[in-house]
Amino acid sequence: MEDDVKKVKKPGISPFKRVFLKGEKGRDKKAQEKATERRALHTFSLSQPDHRIDPDILLNDYIEKEVKYLGQLTSVPGYLNPSSRTEVLQLIDNARKSHQLVGQLTSEQDAVVSLSAYNIKLVRRDGEDIILRVPIHDIAAVSYIRDDSLHLVVIKTAQESGGSPCPSSCPDLNKSQTRSSLSESGTVLVEVCCLLVLAVDNKAAAEELCLLLSQVFQIVYTESTIDFLDRAIFDGATTPTRHLSQYSDDSSSKVDVKDSFEEEPSPLQFLVTEGSSPSASTPASPQTKTASEGELSTTAAELLQDYMTTLRTKLSSQEIQQFATLLHEYRNGASIHEFCINLRQLYGDSRKFLLLGLRPFIPEKDSQHFENFLETIGVKDGRGIITDSFGRYKRTASSASDSTTNGNGAAGGSGDSVASDEGHEPSEGDEWDRMITDISNDIEALGCSMDQDPVTP
Amino acid sequence: MTMGDMKNDAAAASLAPMALYTVMFPVFKELEKINLSAAQTLRTAFIKAEKETPGLTQDVVVKILEKKKLKINYNESLLRMAGDDMQELMIDRKEPEFQELNERARALKHILSTLPDEINDRMGLLHTIKDVASAIKELLNTVNTVLRKYQHQNRRVVEQQKKEFVKYSKSFSDTLKTYFKDGNKCVCQRQPAHPPNQHDNAGLQDWRPSGGGPRRREEQTRADTGEAFSLEDRRNKAFYL
Repeated sequence: MEDDVKKVKKPGISPFKRVFLKGEKGRDKKAQEKATERRALHTFSLSQPDHRIDPDILLNDYIEKEVKYLGQLTSVPGYLNPSSRTEVLQLIDNARKSHQLVGQLTSEQDAVVSLSAYNIKLVRRDGEDIILRVPIHDIAAVSYIRDDSLHLVVIKTAQESGGSPCPSSCPDLNKSQTRSSLSESGTVLVEVCCLLVLAVDNKAAAEELCLLLSQVFQIVYTESTIDFLDRAIFDGATTPTRHLSQYSDDSSSKVDVKDSFEEEPSPLQFLVTEGSSPSASTPASPQTKTASEGELSTTAAELLQDYMTTLRTKLSSQEIQQFATLLHEYRNGASIHEFCINLRQLYGDSRKFLLLGLRPFIPEKDSQHFENFLETIGVKDGRGIITDSFGRYKRTASSASDSTTNGNGAAGGSGDSVASDEGHEPSEGDEWDRMITDISNDIEALGCSMDQDPVTP
Repeated sequence: MTMGDMKNDAAAASLAPMALYTVMFPVFKELEKINLSAAQTLRTAFIKAEKETPGLTQDVVVKILEKKKLKINYNESLLRMAGDDMQELMIDRKEPEFQELNERARALKHILSTLPDEINDRMGLLHTIKDVASAIKELLNTVNTVLRKYQHQNRRVVEQQKKEFVKYSKSFSDTLKTYFKDGNKCVCQRQPAHPPNQHDNAGLQDWRPSGGGPRRREEQTRADTGEAFSLEDRRNKAFYL
């Protein structure tokens, strides 16, 4: 009977309170249900204590971590020292006061940061709405700041238009700093950057995130450096050495040229310069011109053969067939844009430098687009995955033209020599068409013949 | 790498001529201050012996190191020492292109010689590799300029040398990729390579004014080769090129 009495009602709790308590419990329950409904993160176990991850995961996959997104500050002076706790916290405090950044952290700030060698992406934990995406080459620094119980991870990034879907106006302090910098420096413009402010649960999570980003930087910078090395070797190896005015019928010289560029994509651009460029300083006597055209055919055929040899070493048989198909489609009317995109997909990141060797296959009308494409994928101007992160090696238009026109004594050219191919006679265009048709057929045949002969790219 | 390993590997590889130019020549130079005649006699003897029996100098050097129980990394030491300027390997043509070639070759060897110091610092290593890349390209460009500007019947030799240099540069790059991919673990790859000076000089020897430096030509003909980039574990790095 006493148990029955206890069961009836709790003494001292008003009906209103009971209703409210019931409501709160309901909300907590919903929140808990929400948490349990959230998808599992795409994560991996990391080796301790340095939280190392297999580089392949960052290159070919991604890893996710839970964070809280406080916001992004824009127009921050670029000279901000990311390792200065005082400076960074001052910015953050001011931003929070002016509501540029959230003050109180709730589940509404829950987000997922997805990290790979290409970018970091921030999405809402619930709903997966994308907040922002930052390419790795736009990240300047990552800082961890512990502010009492708050563990902040601050990422300094480049500021670009459209870099954040949530632009925020510059806090007063930043503005004043910017103005004072301008007044002190006169006409010198102050570079600005963005600060992406995240919070994590604890120090271990913060360190893990920082170390993961550090590994990404290492991978990207390493890839970029090796890419740079490969390009430097390739460019130096394929620069032409023959002087147009020294053309001779000596077959050994032809063999020399071929041998020099064995297994290398050929500097076919110089063929256009030597054979047809009006900027070439060689005498325009008919005899020399005829000799040049003859040289064009013979040398071009040999060098195209060299490129096929390169394809054999770099591509599998299936890939060669795909390349042949793409080349065939391009020759039959597919757009240069489509050709470039498909080739880029075929070669992938590790072999994208092979695109350089395709210059001679591109007719003049498409050469500008092709060159622009090379630049966007970071092949032409020596940019790797990190864009302009080092800039020591910059293949300028003048140096590119110097390397291909010096032999002709030409006083530089405007951009690449392919672009300088102006006014060539129809016979050369026919010659190109014939050679490219031949090479397409040869490549297709090569692909078929290699079906039984596996090739190690 | 133990001394025994070094010896076995070195015997099989083509580092041999480097021992003469990189190790012994500076030694002879030092000896000249003490006893000029003896130093010159020794120098002549070693050059002749090396010519007759390639690899002899290296054997002598390795044996001396063994006897003295010196625990050094032979290949790493060779790489470091190869960064020093050696007048014997310079081209003495006065034309600016040849002088630039000397300078480019010297610069590349100097940068390569700093690799052992950077191996444990990832960022420093990457910076150095970038410098190596730039130096390789500048050297090749200079070679190309010389080939374009100066016609010679033996250009095929130089072009062949250039091809070899490119081949081993690529091998260097491939080894680096493996090294980084494997997380700085043990990678062994040995291929002969031509140091830039020898590579250039061997082919350019006949570009000299006739009647000049016959002995040097012979020495340079024996362009010594080094092993391409090879990395061991972090505790025992060895580079040779």
